[in-house]
Amino acid sequence: MGNIEERVKKLFVKLFDMKPEEVNLEANLNDDLGMDSTEIVELTVALEKEFKINIEDGEIKKRHCVSDVVNIVKNRIK
Amino acid sequence: MKVAITGIGIVAPPGVCKEDFWQNVKAGKSFISPITRFDASKYPSQVAGQIENLNTNPIPRRLLKKIDKFSIFALIATEQAIKDASLNLAKEDPYNIGIFIGNALGGWLYAETELRDLYVEGRDGVSPYLASAWFPAAPQGQISIFYGIKGYSKTVVADRASALMAIGYAAKVIENKKLNIAFAGGTEAPVTPYALLCCSTEGSLSKGLYRPFDKERDGFVVGEGAGILVLEDVEHALKRGANIYGFITGYGSFCDGVDRIMPDPNGKGLIKAIKAALDMAGYKPTDIDYICADGVGTKLGDISETRAIKEVFGKKIPVSAPKTMFGYLLGAAGAVDVIIALLAMQEGIIPPTINYQTKDPECDLDYVPNKSRPKEVKRALIISRGRGGINAVLTIERG
Repeated sequence: MGNIEERVKKLFVKLFDMKPEEVNLEANLNDDLGMDSTEIVELTVALEKEFKINIEDGEIKKRHCVSDVVNIVKNRIK
Repeated sequence: MKVAITGIGIVAPPGVCKEDFWQNVKAGKSFISPITRFDASKYPSQVAGQIENLNTNPIPRRLLKKIDKFSIFALIATEQAIKDASLNLAKEDPYNIGIFIGNALGGWLYAETELRDLYVEGRDGVSPYLASAWFPAAPQGQISIFYGIKGYSKTVVADRASALMAIGYAAKVIENKKLNIAFAGGTEAPVTPYALLCCSTEGSLSKGLYRPFDKERDGFVVGEGAGILVLEDVEHALKRGANIYGFITGYGSFCDGVDRIMPDPNGKGLIKAIKAALDMAGYKPTDIDYICADGVGTKLGDISETRAIKEVFGKKIPVSAPKTMFGYLLGAAGAVDVIIALLAMQEGIIPPTINYQTKDPECDLDYVPNKSRPKEVKRALIISRGRGGINAVLTIERG
């Protein structure tokens, strides 16, 4: 299973060619990581596959931080 | 009309910079190779002009996977053209720069792959970037975003005449003082299973050699790539001390309106388009030193083009189809031909029509067969034609 937080961060790095040090928990998806709505769709689908969970369209928002994404995943896995 | 050409960007099988490209085109080499990216054994044409191991600078990796190959070609060619024109974009008004891109097919490698996933895996299998990756205006949008260009722009989809039409259109917009600068040209990435199938079904693809005007001709071979020119208002170019390769002086376009695929056998629409371009430029037919032909390689296509050229220019004028070396780049071809004509003027060398072996009594012009020819070229005329009887003609003059 591994550490959920680490696995989420790794997805960011892999999907969007980001540096691991950029993807900290406080980083805002839009302002800090420059993500657009299409990238958020890609992230959502990748998280669903990685953790075998269901995330609603629009549940992850541009104004969210990496920590919000980690929390959404953790809540689903419960 | 007088619009300056101040920059050249080229991504094509003979080379991914103007120097390599021109060296190879001048040498009359062939850059057609067997298609190995997918199983082409069931296609009538199993060869293409292909670009291998493309260096994708300056495109970031994060962007690469969101765009189709035809946008990648266009961005690389635009980067070259901006550098070649010594343009400092930070000093220019972004609202006074436009983008005019020709394209015939759209980004099918991306589209095919994702549509397969849609039908195999369902909606979750489809990349969210598909919608913005495949459509013909994607390269225009990507160039605009990448360089922050905000002026009047347009994507032209007119089959194989797309790029020449985009250049003609851009020149008119600059001539009307609506823009200072335009990035104009075309891009095409047709070496994919579905795109090649689209080209095959109409019967215009050669089963062997691409040899227009030759008695044994049986169609064309596709090629991939992009050509982008920096067009500029003459005053603007002079003011910033730009190197001027040449000028666009005339443009004409008429349609045949006779058949879904075939042109008018006597090239009536083409004759009108040639005359319109000459009129706009204020040239007599004898002012033209070289014609860069459409050379589609079909039986009727070449006869009608030959008849039209003969009607206006007589039989002596050198006419060549350099695209025989690297394939017909469809919606990018006109831009590549304009670049070839500009480089031919620079050096006083006309590139050849290669693969020419057997004379056809119905195609009896001087096609500059197989070998380049030294000749001073002050003014050239470029022809692009598309299915359904589209004719576009551009005249250029040395700088």
